[in-house]
Amino acid sequence: MSDAPDAPDVVDPAEGDDRPPRGGSHLTRNVAIAVGLLLAVFIGLLATRPSASERSQSAKIVGRAVPEVSGTTLTGTQVSLDQFRGKWTVVNFFASWCTPCRLEHPELVKFAAAHAAKGDVQVVAVAFQDDPSAVRAFFDQQGGSWPVIVGDTGRIALDFGVTGVPESYLVSPDGLVVAKFEGVAAAALDSVLARAEGQTGVSTP
Amino acid sequence: MNLALGKAGVALGLAAALFGALTLAYGLVRKRPNLLRLATAYSVLVLLGGMIMFVAMERALITRDFTVQYVADNGSSRTPALYNFATLWGALEGSIILWAVILGGYILAVTVKFRRRLADPLVGWALLTMFVVALFFFGLLIGPANPFKSFSPPVGFDGPGPNPLLQNHPLMAFHPPMLYLGYVGFTVPFAFAIAALVTGRVGEGWLVATRRWTLIAWGFLTVGIVLGSWWSYEVLGWGGYWAWDPVENASFLPWLTGTAYLHSVMVQERRGMLRVWNLSLLCATFALTILGTFITRSGVLQSVHAFTASGIGPAIIGFFSLIVVVTIGLIAWRGDRLRAPGRIDSPMSREGAFLANNVLFAGFAFIVLLGTVFPLIVEAANGNRVSVGVPYFNRMTMPIGMVLLFLMAVAPVLPWRKASGELLRHRLLVPAWIGTGTVVLAVILGARGVMALIAFGLAGFAGGSAMRQLYLAGRRQGWRGFIGRANGGMVVHLGVVVIALAFAASQSYVRQAEFTLQEGQTATYAGHTLTYVGHEVKLDANKTVTRALVEIDGTGPWTPGLQRFANGNQVIGVPSVRTTPTNDVSLTLLALPEGDGAPATIRVTIQPLIMWLWIGGAIMAVGTLLAAFPGRRRNPIDPVSAPIPGAPDRRKTPVAVG
Repeated sequence: MSDAPDAPDVVDPAEGDDRPPRGGSHLTRNVAIAVGLLLAVFIGLLATRPSASERSQSAKIVGRAVPEVSGTTLTGTQVSLDQFRGKWTVVNFFASWCTPCRLEHPELVKFAAAHAAKGDVQVVAVAFQDDPSAVRAFFDQQGGSWPVIVGDTGRIALDFGVTGVPESYLVSPDGLVVAKFEGVAAAALDSVLARAEGQTGVSTP
Repeated sequence: MNLALGKAGVALGLAAALFGALTLAYGLVRKRPNLLRLATAYSVLVLLGGMIMFVAMERALITRDFTVQYVADNGSSRTPALYNFATLWGALEGSIILWAVILGGYILAVTVKFRRRLADPLVGWALLTMFVVALFFFGLLIGPANPFKSFSPPVGFDGPGPNPLLQNHPLMAFHPPMLYLGYVGFTVPFAFAIAALVTGRVGEGWLVATRRWTLIAWGFLTVGIVLGSWWSYEVLGWGGYWAWDPVENASFLPWLTGTAYLHSVMVQERRGMLRVWNLSLLCATFALTILGTFITRSGVLQSVHAFTASGIGPAIIGFFSLIVVVTIGLIAWRGDRLRAPGRIDSPMSREGAFLANNVLFAGFAFIVLLGTVFPLIVEAANGNRVSVGVPYFNRMTMPIGMVLLFLMAVAPVLPWRKASGELLRHRLLVPAWIGTGTVVLAVILGARGVMALIAFGLAGFAGGSAMRQLYLAGRRQGWRGFIGRANGGMVVHLGVVVIALAFAASQSYVRQAEFTLQEGQTATYAGHTLTYVGHEVKLDANKTVTRALVEIDGTGPWTPGLQRFANGNQVIGVPSVRTTPTNDVSLTLLALPEGDGAPATIRVTIQPLIMWLWIGGAIMAVGTLLAAFPGRRRNPIDPVSAPIPGAPDRRKTPVAVG
């Protein structure tokens, strides 16, 4: 390189050096210490977060109590999963922009229709990162008349540990998550439902 | 065989980095120049170790050697050759191999470039820093991210292959290496910053020595980011190219601080000011690349394309702490001695504009960092899990982007020290007209919306300013008017302007609709006709592809499809995009036709000017190359502009620097 090893500091000769450059002021040191303390807190924060493996442990929601699922539906009413205590519920996370969601939707419609007469299962959908108008168009086109929670649903998805859509969870009448599905089929839902009813001994007539 | 070779490579790299660091440290402390000169040999060995493990892993992947755990986890006999090659950086352990081998390359390049100055303590400390960084990455490869674990495959075993999303677009082979060349490249200026702090050599020498390295790393990072968003646009099929995902932000953060540095370094070279700030920016840029590595690989943040869970997090956070402690400690110790006596005379000057630029870029980076880690802060504070959405980032960053565009127009014509209003009016007249013309043209073409029109106007203004500078430089210096830092910088600015235009247009005028069409049926949308011709099913070795054949305005057929990979039930959409200079028509197949003659549901997304995002990225890359090319050499302590003989002392436009 062209520069001499000890190039002098560039000080513009015209610049009036009206402040002692060395000593006296410790601005930089004080700022550095402040920034350092802030970063120490930040590092502490990062280091104490549960690691990925622990997190996936805690994300295993199957077998635990269902987190709170409530919000505003497409029709503008408030809905909460508590309303459906005593019924089996299927909580379905979906988005109108997600192709596999579209593929599974007819199955969900079929499943809901098959159980409509008996009234033993309630489907609740949670729109994930989606626009209400797009969701409405999706349901108009694809069918399905269950409540759809729209708007800021990020917290619900995080509580369930949803990693992508579609994901569905089967919740027992007493509020326990008994199964998780990544994409559902009516037959699979029914067989898991039948098995779960047998295991928990909870069955609705 | 591959296992043994790979392990040998890791061991060689690790040992070379360790002994290199120890030798240099001893040589520096005991002042033994001949020990410092050994750096070349050690750097050759580090790179050799890296190459050996790289080749071993590629060989294992290509020969489908499932006795290597990494290949058993990520390879498969059905993966096509290109994606098979790219599988090396498709998962965590392999990506660290790529990182280490690139770092080895950079270290060797530094020892070659500075071969005559190896005995200089400044260079010695810089190389010592780089060996320590290499030691860390090779250490990861024997510890938490060991890619060469053995596996005994059962008879007839075949791996699952890479994630399906990583094997349906060739850009996947280029985006990660470019990104890593950028990330790792920032190690060089960081190492010199540390060396400058340790030796207390506050002269501009180290800056001049590393400016071009920073520029090259920055250029690679830019290309990597643009390729990444191109990949997501082509592959993910939601019509978008940037989602403020934590992993995207992780690559964007060092880009922001790196950009700030490339501007503020000029103030230091010219006026000797902002020394501590520049050192801090370089350290921050490197620290952010490591923080980005932590975010993408530790699993603390939920993200669509983070690597799978691994135990690598604590090691990276430990290294990050080391960097923070060392740099903050050094700056606290040396900082007050480095502070320059200079002071900015007038906000209406080049240095004033650079300072404003830096404040904005730093603010930009802070907003992005805050949005990225905010969920962690809230979770730590009260246990709630929150997500920070795209609206936050858009609302917070758009105003900064607008002001930056304005600065991009004004700053290049500002002289150093102080500008007069009259001078500014004279120089900005043409750019202002170009900006106004852009708005008028946009309105004539049907553009509406205040924010978009402001963005167009500011982009035109900034573009006009950059073109004015290039025109003047070209007239004065001929073809040399396009090379060198200032002129290449103006080319980069033009690229940014093109991206800003395309970004504003595509975000503001996106149209999206869905159609369910019978075979032979035609739909009309936003001036385009879509005809569903039929569908086809193709069986490949590793996947089944169902495609709809759709004609757009009588061209095509375009083939949006759905892929089902042999292993795993994941269904992946393959969008089909008709790209023209004016707009992109992107088709996504939403529902499979159930049989012959059945209807298909297709989503169409129409966005204007998308192609110009990628063209803008290419212009930025070319501009970076031009800027890295040595322009007119000028000693940094030369007067800014010589008085013209025989003329009154009137300053020329300071255009060509560097």
